Amino acid sequence: MSYLSERSADKPSMVAWLIGLFSVAMIALVAAPSLAPETFSFLNGLKVDTDPENMLSEREEVRVYHNDMKETFALHDLIVVGVVNEQNENGVFNVETLSNIFELTNFAETVRWDAASEKAGVIAVDIIAPSTVDNIEQAGLGAVSFNWLMPNAPASDDEALAIREKVARIPTLNETLVSADGKAIALYIPITSKDVSYRVAKALKGKISEFSDGAEYHITGLPIAQDQFGVEMFRQMAISAPAAMVLIFILMWFFFRQLTLIVSPMLVAMAAVIGSMGLLVATGNTVHIMSSMIPIFVMPIAVLDAVHILSDFYDRYPSYRDRRKTISHVMDELWKPMLFTTLTTCAGFASLAFTPIPPVRVFGIFVAFGVFLAWLFTVTLVPAFIMLMPEKALARFGAGERSKGNNEHGALAQFLHSVGEFSVARSKAILVLLLVAIGISAYGITQIRINDNPVKWFNVDHEIRVADRALNERFAGTYMAYLTLEPRGGSEATSVLADETRELLANVGGAEATEIEALIPTALNEAADNEAFLAALEAYANEKYAAAGTDEAWDAWEDILLTLDRARLRADIFKRPDMLAFIEGLQRHLQSSGLVGKSNALPDIVKTVHRDLLLADEKEFRIPDTPEAVAQTLITYQNSHRPQDLFKLVTPDFRKANLWIQLKSGDNVDMNAIIDTVDAYMAANAAPVALEHKWFGLTYINVVWQEKMVAGMATAFLGSFIIVLILMTFLFRSIWWGLLSMAPLTVTIAVIYGVIGFIGKDYDMPVAVLSALSLGLAVDYAIHFNVRSRQLFETIGNWRGTARAAFGEPARAIFRNVIVIGAGFTPLLLAPLVPYQTVGVFISAILVLAGATTLLALPALITVFETRYFPQPKPKGALHVQSAK
Amino acid sequence: MFNLRNSILSAAMLIGAASSAFAQTEPNVQEIVNKASAAAYYQGKDGKAKVSMTIADAQGRERSREFTIIRTDLGDADNGEQRFYVFFNRPADVNRTAFMVWKHVEGDDDRWLYLPALDLVKRIAASDERASFVGSHFFYEDVSGRGPDEDVHVLLEETDNYFVVESTPKNTNAVEFEKYKNWIHKETFIPVKTEYMNDAGDVYRTYTAEKVETVEGHPTVMQSRMEDHQIGGATTMMYSAVDYDLDLPDDIFTERYLRNPPRKYLR
Repeated sequence: MSYLSERSADKPSMVAWLIGLFSVAMIALVAAPSLAPETFSFLNGLKVDTDPENMLSEREEVRVYHNDMKETFALHDLIVVGVVNEQNENGVFNVETLSNIFELTNFAETVRWDAASEKAGVIAVDIIAPSTVDNIEQAGLGAVSFNWLMPNAPASDDEALAIREKVARIPTLNETLVSADGKAIALYIPITSKDVSYRVAKALKGKISEFSDGAEYHITGLPIAQDQFGVEMFRQMAISAPAAMVLIFILMWFFFRQLTLIVSPMLVAMAAVIGSMGLLVATGNTVHIMSSMIPIFVMPIAVLDAVHILSDFYDRYPSYRDRRKTISHVMDELWKPMLFTTLTTCAGFASLAFTPIPPVRVFGIFVAFGVFLAWLFTVTLVPAFIMLMPEKALARFGAGERSKGNNEHGALAQFLHSVGEFSVARSKAILVLLLVAIGISAYGITQIRINDNPVKWFNVDHEIRVADRALNERFAGTYMAYLTLEPRGGSEATSVLADETRELLANVGGAEATEIEALIPTALNEAADNEAFLAALEAYANEKYAAAGTDEAWDAWEDILLTLDRARLRADIFKRPDMLAFIEGLQRHLQSSGLVGKSNALPDIVKTVHRDLLLADEKEFRIPDTPEAVAQTLITYQNSHRPQDLFKLVTPDFRKANLWIQLKSGDNVDMNAIIDTVDAYMAANAAPVALEHKWFGLTYINVVWQEKMVAGMATAFLGSFIIVLILMTFLFRSIWWGLLSMAPLTVTIAVIYGVIGFIGKDYDMPVAVLSALSLGLAVDYAIHFNVRSRQLFETIGNWRGTARAAFGEPARAIFRNVIVIGAGFTPLLLAPLVPYQTVGVFISAILVLAGATTLLALPALITVFETRYFPQPKPKGALHVQSAK
Repeated sequence: MFNLRNSILSAAMLIGAASSAFAQTEPNVQEIVNKASAAAYYQGKDGKAKVSMTIADAQGRERSREFTIIRTDLGDADNGEQRFYVFFNRPADVNRTAFMVWKHVEGDDDRWLYLPALDLVKRIAASDERASFVGSHFFYEDVSGRGPDEDVHVLLEETDNYFVVESTPKNTNAVEFEKYKNWIHKETFIPVKTEYMNDAGDVYRTYTAEKVETVEGHPTVMQSRMEDHQIGGATTMMYSAVDYDLDLPDDIFTERYLRNPPRKYLR
């Protein structure tokens, strides 16, 4: 069985060389294309991905639609610059601050550079800033003027304040450009792609540093958060992973007090990390928020097997005084539990491969690979390393003054023995306690709130969170969601169009109208679609029009042609007042729900322009009565400096409308509530033309991936539970032993998730991921305990004696592992990002609790069900001992 | 940045000065620009055309508008007072919408828009001259023409076929461009291409006369195109039924006729 280890112990130098070569080769494989991408273009270099959108596959329907709609409505990712001035009673509306904002906007327009194929940076024409938007106002009877809101920096404070007054009248700008309290301004700076945001923000910050008007400039928006994320991610890898390494090293030294010996597990851990990360990069996968945690996961797990080997070696060596023989014994004893703990851990991580979230899949697969590498290196390098050490270096090993605390008589040993005695003696009480814990936890789990928000991945005092709060307190919201409305398929039958055409013709009247009306039944029969129907009628009218001999006939046929075109325009559903009124109703409903900061939609533009066309009379702030009046109001709007803005809210064919919804919170629960309220409204209120509605925008995408994540994690959890149970049943050749092994981790996970429910910690991305993966890891203690107990029972022959022995060296090894792994993840608390901290806290909690439960629950359960697990001894035990010697 | 721009400008002026010094027989630059303005906007004493305008956005989605345009030159003076009347036919929901311009030699032009569905005559503020003409890539000013005296002109280059003139606005606050460059056909004086540049020196807007024909002895642009490189997309205007010297009465170019279109002259 332990053939690998035996061969390694025989040829130790070769093993050391092979592993060393493997590590160097892996480093070279990644370093070469990363440092010289041109020369090594056939290899994959390091690629970083900080985009939460990539939590979903690029082919995922919601992302495809999101990207389609961004193009359809010419929307771009936005950087939001919030300007707040607490020192001035009018906020930013003073000459100096507005002059700086003017200058900053002009500067932002120039932040462009040549990229691979086209210009990258700021999209100047779409900036929303006081100097780039139009002020719409009436200028005498029937005159609407579109002039730049702030064509130049204001000359006086009165001029500055006038700008505020103007914005208050324009609903699309109010609370978007200028805050509700009228004291702050937000600039919306569109960028060519998210990955330029860092460079753009840096340029803006440089410009802002020149200002000294006492205003604060907050830069935020999801793109900024994402770029910042990348920076923090590397800091995490640079701080937490080495810190974990140092911590584990100190702990190992504390356990074994033999510097040269504990070097080997550290080398194993390093080689496993290099191997798994190297393969990740070399296979073209990206370093994402999930995969950046691979090193810190692999590191503590990698040393677990070595801890068992060294622990056992430590105890056995004094009796053999021969390292080769000791190794053979140790590896024989540990081979099976090590193999199976590795398999279960791999299974736990590999189960993540079944989630629909690509970065989680990659994480699971590569940690599983790292764990496998760690096992391979442990069973080869650790024995080899021991053989390479001079025998005299081991002379005092495992005995003597320095290691007193670690042997049978040490404090740890005595503590564990008392734990063992306690759990056997109080087995029934412990059992009751476990059942109560599960009961309470079950209730706690029902209290779990599923929620996430990528901006909250930053610490509360991070500048992004500060900006987030500053802006969302004052403005309609920095989180964007978009709702599209379009006619439901089949809702516009040609027969309906024919009826409408008849009606329109009847209104015109005359012989010509009757002539055309007579053609309708045939046209309706022959037409393939609505356009063909109208084209057939128009062809006839056009002939008559061209042949018209008199002015009267010419006029009459011109009217018929106009009428037919009017019928065609019925398809431009969002020019229809009744359809606009429907959107208006939906907007009102959204606003009154209290869930959204504000919604911007086509009716807002129509109403504003209509009001200002009619002497700025507030009563005229309404949707006009005819589609023609709507069309002419819109053509007036298009006489502005930014006619293209109209088509951010409706497509040029007026068949798809877009509601831009600003939210003050990016929490998924809040977005979900909005989705529900819109669904309910659409179900309860029928639009004149039946509509279908769809969401897009980053805030919505987050909701979708979270839903997938939760469902996917449930599958992964169940999957890994079943796989681990099967492995256990196979290992022990008994379903009862299999179930017993699952007991501690089941209790642990129930309790941990119960606690999450009770303390109100959101069930977010890291919490979801931990359930499945911790399962494979937490079962390790039970495997070691059960395998070793069964081995001991073979020789001892009764459970009480076995328990006493199991709480000797095996329990000490388990306890050391609990410490190593519990402490090994704590450096994640040093990470600047909340998800890492969550992972650190929860995985440590799960593994420490699982260790404690194993040492308490397993002996208690075995004691209660002793007859099933350790029935009356058979004489075979004595034979086994003899053959082993 | 600023200095660099200045030095480019002065270099351009030097070239301009040099070329006019060496070519005494050539017309001076103001004369070229005046002739170009006359060729583009003052052919005949009056005129009429049907225009089919197609607005294509950055994604190639098209919208079309059809209108009839009539124009008269008061006293038939080139680069003098002028009146325009634009009558929209299609789409049906903007039918009878009308746009009128009184172009003045001195001071700002007067512009009106009539919205029949609201029965409203709307004056367009002078500050909106360089805003979109009914959602197209053309500006109001492009429809009626920019006065030749509003800019300082420099003859950059003279090729076999074109005078290349660079124009810098006298009043920089009223316009969004830093300068523009015109390719003026030497024979017909029709501007065939105009490039507008922003302060970064990038061409962000391009006008092209795509088809020029001689109608009733007048070289006439039959198809023109305005492209906006920042917003993306382009607007194409196709002219048909061009007619000159129709003896249009001056009084149809008044506010009264905005509400009651002179159908006889628009047919």
